[in-house]
Amino acid sequence: MTKRKWTSAWLTLLVTALVLSGCGAGNSAGGNNTAESPAPASSNSAAGGSKVLTIANATDIESFDPHNNNNTVSESVLVNVFDYLLKNDSQQKKVPGLATSWEQVNDTTWRFHLREGVTFHNGDPFTAADVKFTIERIAKDSALKQNSYFKNITEVKVVDDLTADIITDGPDPLLLNRLSKMGAGILPSKYITDSGIEAFLKQPVGTGPYKFSKWTKDDRVELVKNESYFDGEPKWDEVVFRAIPEASTRVSELLAGGIDIASGIPSTDVARVEEAENKQIVKAPIQRVLQLILRQTEGSPTADPKVREAIDLAIDKQGIVDSIAGGAGIVTRTSVTPGNFGADPSLYKQSLYDQAKAKELLKEAGYAEGTPELTISVSSQYKEYAEVVAAMLEQTGFKINLDVLEPSAFSERYSSKSFKEIFMIGIGNSLFDASNNYTRYLAEEAKGETDYNNPEVEKLLQQALVNMDPTSREKEYQQVQQILANDRPAVYLFQMEGIYGTDARVKFQPRSDEMFYAEEITPVN
Amino acid sequence: MAGAKNMHTFEPPSDGESLQRKPSGFGIGWKRLLRSKTGTFGAVLVLLVTLTALLAPWIAGQDPAAIDPLNRLKPPVWLEGGSSAHWLGTDNLGRDMWSRIVYGSRVSLIVGLGAVLVSGLIGALLGLLSGFYGKWVDAVIMRVADSFMAIPTILFMLVVLAVVGPGLTTLIFVIGVTNWVSYTRVVRGEVLSIKERDFVKAARSVGAKNGRILVKHILPNIMSSFIVISGMNVATTIIMEASLSFLGLGIKPPAVSWGGMLSDGRQYIATSWWVATFPGLAITVTVLGVIFLGDWLRDVLDPHMKEKA
Amino acid sequence: MDLVKYILKSLLQVIPTLLIVSVIVFVLVRVTGDPVALMLPETATAEDRAVLTQALGLDQPLTTQYVKFLGSALQGDFGNSFRYGESALPLVLERLPASFELAAAAMLFAVLMAIPLGVASAVKRNTFTDLIISGVSVIGKAMPNFWMGIMLILLFSVILGVLPVSGRGGFSHLVLPAFTLGVGLAAQMTRLIRSSMLDILSQDYIRTARSKGIRELLVVGKHAFRNGMIPVVTIMSLQFTSLIGGTLITETVFAWPGLGQLLVVAVNTHDMAIVQAAVFVIAFIVVITNILTDVAYRLLDPRIKYN
Repeated sequence: MTKRKWTSAWLTLLVTALVLSGCGAGNSAGGNNTAESPAPASSNSAAGGSKVLTIANATDIESFDPHNNNNTVSESVLVNVFDYLLKNDSQQKKVPGLATSWEQVNDTTWRFHLREGVTFHNGDPFTAADVKFTIERIAKDSALKQNSYFKNITEVKVVDDLTADIITDGPDPLLLNRLSKMGAGILPSKYITDSGIEAFLKQPVGTGPYKFSKWTKDDRVELVKNESYFDGEPKWDEVVFRAIPEASTRVSELLAGGIDIASGIPSTDVARVEEAENKQIVKAPIQRVLQLILRQTEGSPTADPKVREAIDLAIDKQGIVDSIAGGAGIVTRTSVTPGNFGADPSLYKQSLYDQAKAKELLKEAGYAEGTPELTISVSSQYKEYAEVVAAMLEQTGFKINLDVLEPSAFSERYSSKSFKEIFMIGIGNSLFDASNNYTRYLAEEAKGETDYNNPEVEKLLQQALVNMDPTSREKEYQQVQQILANDRPAVYLFQMEGIYGTDARVKFQPRSDEMFYAEEITPVN
Repeated sequence: MAGAKNMHTFEPPSDGESLQRKPSGFGIGWKRLLRSKTGTFGAVLVLLVTLTALLAPWIAGQDPAAIDPLNRLKPPVWLEGGSSAHWLGTDNLGRDMWSRIVYGSRVSLIVGLGAVLVSGLIGALLGLLSGFYGKWVDAVIMRVADSFMAIPTILFMLVVLAVVGPGLTTLIFVIGVTNWVSYTRVVRGEVLSIKERDFVKAARSVGAKNGRILVKHILPNIMSSFIVISGMNVATTIIMEASLSFLGLGIKPPAVSWGGMLSDGRQYIATSWWVATFPGLAITVTVLGVIFLGDWLRDVLDPHMKEKA
Repeated sequence: MDLVKYILKSLLQVIPTLLIVSVIVFVLVRVTGDPVALMLPETATAEDRAVLTQALGLDQPLTTQYVKFLGSALQGDFGNSFRYGESALPLVLERLPASFELAAAAMLFAVLMAIPLGVASAVKRNTFTDLIISGVSVIGKAMPNFWMGIMLILLFSVILGVLPVSGRGGFSHLVLPAFTLGVGLAAQMTRLIRSSMLDILSQDYIRTARSKGIRELLVVGKHAFRNGMIPVVTIMSLQFTSLIGGTLITETVFAWPGLGQLLVVAVNTHDMAIVQAAVFVIAFIVVITNILTDVAYRLLDPRIKYN
């Protein structure tokens, strides 16, 4: 008798569990607002008066070495621990950071006046020696992932404790942009020279508003308030960055109240988050522009400008934004979006779409229905977009091979420049300057990738690289954009938008550079 | 005894044990199948899936790859907003769910059967060699088998797929190559015991050569265990394909597979449940059928178990 | 004693096994692709690449690389992880607690589910109870892991709000991932226990016991159950070893910082040092667990010969 009870209890448990999990799907599918939940069993947030901010990203940080990161998520965490000499505010205007002012001494030298009384988290004072150490490290060690952005810096001269001169190998209109971008975080020279970089990475030390507390890899980074921050007491007692790779888990965690901000909300979940009590969606255009880059190598079908134009005309960009992107995108015919130096507003919020003409162009180029055959390579994160683009191109008469690659495999092919006719990629711009968009179209760089070569563009780009006069420099880039819109080494789809879910506990306005400055996020009481 | 011998096979050791008792050939009649309720059920499910796969173009009605972004995530016909044009609704790119489920059965079956064939051939061959020749051949093969068991399967697949790139053939081979060990162990055990049987000894005494003994006496006798393990493995393989899709290493679009559909649809479980649930159901039902049929096969091929049934 | 000899012999067999593992791993890792391309920024020149290739020793013949690799592996040195810039072995070892915790919880859950269900379905074979249990356990095995994990999160964390969604923390964080993993294991175990109990229940001594009029409960509980559990020990050791490093899908769904996640990222970023260290650690655990199980097994059932 007892045994029967015992077995049936287990049985009931199992069956209920399975049945319930089935119902769970049914309920939420009915569109009910099922998202309300009681106080979560273990929230990280505001308990016992201590203010904790919890942010969830899809990936963990790569490293605590700000010079050896090449990803936005890592930097969005590190900006809270390390300061730049100058930084971009939320409107992307340059404002003082560890330097209070700066001036250009001559074509190749900039002088920086450093903030007084700043200390690193371990108590070391911040001086010009740290600037010299940091900038020369990133400029000279080619193994560091950010090196290429800084290698034109030849030397940093310590003028006095609070003054440093940064010297470049030629006129560099972009120095300030470099110093306020990913990779420019200032490191403690004494600590690293004394204890070595490995010790530093285990117990990183910066000057920022939050101090390193703990990093559990693939789980979370915990930061605590730096009481002696130069810009006053920080807003949060603790800031936690969690890595939650599954998008649906991230949304669930937000709805259950376990986190305050979730990045990368899938467009289909937007309504669900908005309907939930105390949750909001905030969006902002980001620097990333989704685009197709086309090979112009001799013999490739995309070497024919008519074929490239047909590709452009065959794709309904606004349709893609409205459907797959859930409206979170802005169509554009240039990758230099507003907010970046050199942007040409006449090409922004524009797109071309004319399938009939595209078919016409293909015919003119001498292709019959079902040709030319093109391969589109794409990293799996953009798979949906690529599938739609491929379908649109096939409707126009192209034959498309879709080559979906794992992100790592994609980046390997990317750096070896071994894609076939087309690859799809979302390219950001941490420099906020048009030059960064166009490096790949310099004849030297284009070799093997697009093999794009237009002497006029080359001349304009080379001039602009060393042009210290902003007005004429801007003109040069706008001219380049007009030519590129016609030459089509790339077909731009749209500027992407960052979609974040937030809890009503916090007020958060996303930035176009995708950084999470905890000091810009405020607690709501 | 059973446990010790099957130390390293993942499937229930009792199979191995029961397999040692030899069935006397196998005449499987319909009558016997119909006598078992679960067996019949399994056979019907497997038959249904097979027919679906074979007749896909006629059953589907629509192109499973035809994209229609404006009609994405439309619910099944019985829900509000559903339409009879897509009676199981549409997926994240507006493709017809029903047609995709129908065509997806092909990949699941091909991968399931193909991979099992590959691992069966490798595994059985190595098991035969190992059991029949013994000595150093046995030692080497068993150590290699140990090593394979010690490397996480999914890691092995990840690495190979990362090198070769995903695709139907690669998938079949990768899953096949990682699953051979269970065959090897069971077949080896079988051979070891058969080798000592009188009829083999008798054949040997009249001067039969190794090859002849293998083909004439040993091979037919290991068939039943081979079939039983294969049943289990087809199920495991279908699930494995889904897992690999989750990791982005499944079949590439525009080809359709249930695993790929399930994996693409997981993002929409909370908002558009049908996108992931139908392929999930398709996998569950197929695997259910395969397992039930496999169970029945085991019972039939194993006289000892039959006694009890 | 025989047992000591047996253990020594098994330990000796570990050496060739691990050697073969090392070869497989070495080959797999070398063919995965070019780590240099991944390590350097896109703007790197051919010269930069050459320098790095040389620094990593990737320009030497494969045999030289292997011998070097094996030599340092024996000292526990698998090199530095590209991703973290730290020594690989400690990075792998620091994930073990999380993986063990999840694996153990899943196993415990599976055993607690499977034993009563398996026994019940054997005792009540061919009844409605048996059919239901068999059906449910087959469904448990057939249901893809991640689908169930996501469903469970929706139900218990979002709708009911009784369990945390993700991450590693206290006991409550373990429940959902352990359940997700455990259901599949339980399903397999249930089926195994059922068939092994059926085997035993049909054996002569049980029939004798029954014919002597011993109560059914006693027959099942005392005679059959004890013997029926022997294969369970085996499958548990197998399941446990497959869980170490084999739980990456559940880990991803629940953002659980175990070995699986480390491995996937390592493979995807061609972090060779981590892959090698992890495979060695896992292989070692598997091999040792197998020996321990064998030994335990022999202690439980003295009839097994040491051969």
